[in-house]
Amino acid sequence: MCSVEELPPGAMKLVELGAYGVGVYNVGGSFYAIANFCTHEGAPLCAGFVGGTNEFDPDEPGGLRRAREGRIVRCPWHQWEFDITTGENLANPRKRVRTYDVDVIDGKVYVTA
Amino acid sequence: MSIASPIIDANVQPHFRHNAEIRRYLAPTHAMRAIPDVEQQWYQAPRGDYREDLYGDHYPGSDPATVARHLFEDAGVDVAILNPLTRGNIADYLLNSRICAAINDWQVDRWLDADVTGRFRGTIRVNPEDPKGAVEEITRLAQHPKMVQVGIPMQSREPFGKPMFEPIWEAAAAHGLPVAVHVNGGNGVDHAPTFAGHAHTYPGYAAFMPLNYFVHLATLIVEGVFGRHAGLRFVFADGGYDVLTSLMWRLDSFWISMRDQTPWVDRPPGEYLVEHVRFCSSSLDGPTDRQQMQQWMAISGTADLLMYGSNYPHWSASTPADVVSGMNDEQAERVLWRNAAELYGSSLGIAPSA
Repeated sequence: MCSVEELPPGAMKLVELGAYGVGVYNVGGSFYAIANFCTHEGAPLCAGFVGGTNEFDPDEPGGLRRAREGRIVRCPWHQWEFDITTGENLANPRKRVRTYDVDVIDGKVYVTA
Repeated sequence: MSIASPIIDANVQPHFRHNAEIRRYLAPTHAMRAIPDVEQQWYQAPRGDYREDLYGDHYPGSDPATVARHLFEDAGVDVAILNPLTRGNIADYLLNSRICAAINDWQVDRWLDADVTGRFRGTIRVNPEDPKGAVEEITRLAQHPKMVQVGIPMQSREPFGKPMFEPIWEAAAAHGLPVAVHVNGGNGVDHAPTFAGHAHTYPGYAAFMPLNYFVHLATLIVEGVFGRHAGLRFVFADGGYDVLTSLMWRLDSFWISMRDQTPWVDRPPGEYLVEHVRFCSSSLDGPTDRQQMQQWMAISGTADLLMYGSNYPHWSASTPADVVSGMNDEQAERVLWRNAAELYGSSLGIAPSA
C-alpha cells in the first residue's frame, strides 16, 4: 500500500479494500489494520480520533489512570472505544471490529484482506 | 487620598488568559472533559462581570505584570492575596477536584513561582464536595511558602458546619491556614441563589448573595466546629460584614433561650467571631452615606473583623480609600492591614507590630 516512511508512528492510512475500506495504523512503530466500519451502527470508524483511555485506579487523582495511549480509536458517531491492536471494543470485548494482518517487507507496507 | 500605612489586599481574583488555558494544567485523564467557562452565569453584571477597562485580548486579571501594576503601583497595595475561583459546583465532584488542582498548579506556575515582585500570595483551592480530595490537596500544597489560605466557593449544597466537611477544616487548621469563602457564580449544580428562590435580575442577586454566608457561619458556630478547632479561621471574602451585626443578635438571642440543645456552644455565638472569623470588604458594604460610618462602627464593633479586599478585577472592585472612607485612623489601619497581618502572620512579610 505504501512505504514505511509514508506511515510514521501515530499516522493512519485508509486503504480501499472491501466494502468500507481498511484503516492501517502505525502504533509506536508497529502496524495494525482494522475495518473502517464500527460494529455499533456502521460508522466510518477510522475517521475517529486516536488517543488513550482511562482505567480505574484508586490511588491516582480522581481515581483515573491514563492507559493505552495511542492505541485507542474513538468512533466519530457515538464515542465507542476500540483497541486498534486487537480490534476489541473496550466496553464489550465481543463487539470486535475486524482486524487484518499487516506485513512490512523491504520497507513496504502490505495489508492482507 | 494617599494612605501612609501598609496595605494588604486580601481578595484578588486571578484568571486564566482564556478559558481553554486550564486544560494545560489538567492531566490527560481529565483534559478533554466538559468544563463550564469562567464568565458563564445566569446573573451577569450589565456590562460584564469585570472592570470594563480591563477587557482586552485576554481575560481581565490574567496578566501578572498588569495586575501588579494596577494593584502595587496604582492602588498602593503592598501584598495581594490571590483567591482564584473555579467554575461553581460541578456534579462530578472528582472532576471538580482535578479542576481545583489545575487552578492551584497554574497559580503556582504563573503567579507565585514566577512572581518578580514578591508580593503575590496564593490560595489552595479545594472542592468541599470531595472532602477526601480536599484534604489531599491541602496536604499536597500546604508547605508552599506563598500559599497562605484554603479557598472554597460559597455555593454549597449543605452548610459548612455539617460533619462531612469537618476533615477539611481540621486539615486547614492543622496547617495554620485560614479558610476563605468567596461567592463563586460559575455554572454548576447549585441551589437558587437566595433562600427564597431566584432573583429576577443581577441587583437582586449580587446585593444579597453574602446573606448566604450567615447560614454557613451560624452552622459552624452552632454545630460546634469552632469550639472543637481552636485554630480554625474562616474568612468570608466577598463582603457582608455590614449585615453581620443584626444576624448575630438573632443568633445570640436564640442561644440564650435554647442553649440546652447545643450545650457545646459554651458562650454567646457572637463571641466566636473575633477569634475565628474575618470578612473582606466589598464596595456594596456599609452605609451609603459615609457620614454614618462612625455610628455604624460604634454599634457593630466590626473594625476588628474587616480586611480590605479589592475584588479586582471584578466590576465592583474598590480602592483602599473607598473602603476606609468615613473610618477613623485606627479603624482604617485595622482594615487596611493590621487585621490581615495578624490573621496571616509572617507569611505575608508584614509584621503585625510594624
